Amino acid sequence: MRPWALLRLALAGTRTDTVRVLLTAFSAALAALAACAALTVLAIPTPMATPGNMVRWSEQYSNALLREPGLRGGTAFALVLLMIPVLALAGQCARLGAPARDRRLAALRLAGATPGQVTWLAMLETGVAGLLGTLGGLALYLAGHELLHRPDERGQLALPTDVLPHAGALAAVVIGLPLIAGLATALMLRRVITTPLGVTRRAARERGPGPWAGVLIVAGVAAFIVGWPVLLRRTVDGPYVGYALLLIAAGGLVALLGVVTGTGWISHTTGRLLRRYARHPAALLAAGRLTADPWAGSRTFAALLAAVTFGAGAAGLRAHFVAQDQLTRRQSRLAGDEWGANPFYLSTMSLVDLAVAVAVVIAAAGLLVAVVEGVVARRRTYAALTATGVPRTTLAWSLVWQAVLPAVPAILLALTVGAVLSRAFFGDAERGPSTSSVCEAAVQLCADPATRDQYTRITESPAVRAVPDVPLEHLALLGGGALAAVLATVAVGLLFLRSSTAVEELRAT
Amino acid sequence: MSQLQARDLVRSYGRTPALRGVTLDVDEGEIVAVTGPSGCGKSTLLHCLAGILRPDAGEVIWRGERLDTRSEAARSRLRRTEFGVLFQFGQLVAELTAAENVALPLLLAGTGRRAAREAALTWLERFGVAELADVRPGEMSGGQQQRCATARSLVTEPRVLFADEPTGALDTLTGEQVLTTMVRLARERRTSVVLVTHEPRIAAYADREVTIRDGAVEHSGFDLSALSTGGDR
Repeated sequence: MRPWALLRLALAGTRTDTVRVLLTAFSAALAALAACAALTVLAIPTPMATPGNMVRWSEQYSNALLREPGLRGGTAFALVLLMIPVLALAGQCARLGAPARDRRLAALRLAGATPGQVTWLAMLETGVAGLLGTLGGLALYLAGHELLHRPDERGQLALPTDVLPHAGALAAVVIGLPLIAGLATALMLRRVITTPLGVTRRAARERGPGPWAGVLIVAGVAAFIVGWPVLLRRTVDGPYVGYALLLIAAGGLVALLGVVTGTGWISHTTGRLLRRYARHPAALLAAGRLTADPWAGSRTFAALLAAVTFGAGAAGLRAHFVAQDQLTRRQSRLAGDEWGANPFYLSTMSLVDLAVAVAVVIAAAGLLVAVVEGVVARRRTYAALTATGVPRTTLAWSLVWQAVLPAVPAILLALTVGAVLSRAFFGDAERGPSTSSVCEAAVQLCADPATRDQYTRITESPAVRAVPDVPLEHLALLGGGALAAVLATVAVGLLFLRSSTAVEELRAT
Repeated sequence: MSQLQARDLVRSYGRTPALRGVTLDVDEGEIVAVTGPSGCGKSTLLHCLAGILRPDAGEVIWRGERLDTRSEAARSRLRRTEFGVLFQFGQLVAELTAAENVALPLLLAGTGRRAAREAALTWLERFGVAELADVRPGEMSGGQQQRCATARSLVTEPRVLFADEPTGALDTLTGEQVLTTMVRLARERRTSVVLVTHEPRIAAYADREVTIRDGAVEHSGFDLSALSTGGDR
């Protein structure tokens, strides 16, 4: 098939296909923006040390997250993390209108296209949408780069609008994101067999997911609890710091993977229990769905759970900072004064919380697409059930059960894993022994070197250690917010239920 | 005695008229075949009679009371308790087993789990698919699915069964087997049946044929039972 014909067929489709392409492009644009922002932060040059700037701060920025070289890596990492819910949103968008696309692909097979060509078409559709979105995101980034370049009265910038990432890095984003989107489509189609007579999916295993997700969680947490302190001791010597960071990144990812895949097990188990004991048809319908496709929960909640796990870790870090602040104050009070830890770190946590909130919102958008797609894809069955007298409220409650049942334990699991990882990583708050001199006289006497020593006493503070509180309030807020996001998306999804149960759907092809 | 009556039903989809003043009576225990070419308004008539659609004009009377003026919830309740509805395909819930699908209307009516399952098994047995009780629709043939769907439509022992091309997706032999069982069970229980079909062979199972053309009754009252050769129609 000639490339032009391939492209033409890839972009042919119904209104739903157009919506899917637009949403995929939108997600790609958001991902491109996040990637460009992260690359820009990493592109900030670190100045040479000078007598006036031994810490090598980039003084042209007003924000410490950009000014301090040690914090820039974390800032870029947080921006890259924002891409996770965005990419998940793209993944959900790719499923939008799948039945209509399946019929179109089957029709193409009937017209003589090979299975390989059909896969290429699907990849190309997502890839082209991804490319358009990425280019749009890049254009937005460049426009923002110019428009937001506004130094304040001290000549400082709020954003790194004075630097651009390397052209090669930008090119990698433009090529990489559409490529990832296309490959993800091919991955999703691996269980799909498109024949001229229709599209079939290889049957899912009858057996539900095993509890091996628990092994992943234990392994990830063990990396933090056992491996990290051992490597930390050796890190002082220098050469193991790379391994330590790798261990932490791998441990975190493995634990996160455990949380996400664990949702499949939770869905299947709750579905089985519900099926056994359900007395109401709504619960029975939900149980049927949960056991038939337990991975749907993993797919739809993945980004949300990643955000919740990260947010719980951030809450743990905040609790650590608070405990550190209290220790500092206790020590300083012994010395006759009172000051706390650097407030910058605590205020930075508000920015992290904001990033988590943004991630939850983006993840909720992905969830909404999944809920709506679920309703629309099953519209014929829903319409038939309504026609036979099943009340719409029963169908609506089945959707609520279906979302909430796996969501509640999965969110609790994500909160627990995030808090445990954070606790294991940051450990107890501690301050070493300190010695300070306190002059207990009038200012004049203390200022005079001849009399100062007479009124000065030396106070020695022993090493202190405190166990940070479990940030229950923050965790409850985060968990409640995530559950509220789930309920809100289901509520919006239910708006589509009425139209999807209309009798006209019985005639739909 | 007419338990279901339609009076001058009019219904349009946008500017396209589907029914242009249809009048029809269905007696208790009577099997009425509604026939006609594709797009003539047969299914729309069935949907109006079953309370799935509201007519734009005219009235539907169920046992002496207006049906079309009732609320959506009240009409749903009626379809759940007094009516059975059967379509060509797409009506079984893919994730539930055959027994769960058949038990669904009973559970909605408040029957206990155990009793609902037992009733479902009895009805699956009547349609010869009891061995599929714990099988999901995706693992059944079209004929087996339609037997389960028919069992579900009759499990509440409705007064009227509305069947819209119930054998349209089946081969001739399977279609006849499903229809024979359905008609026999309906007759045993004096269940009225409104059977929409475009096939004369299927219409021959009915007591009376009503032919619709361009949204109006072209022909009614023909007593097909006179042509019958056996009791199991």
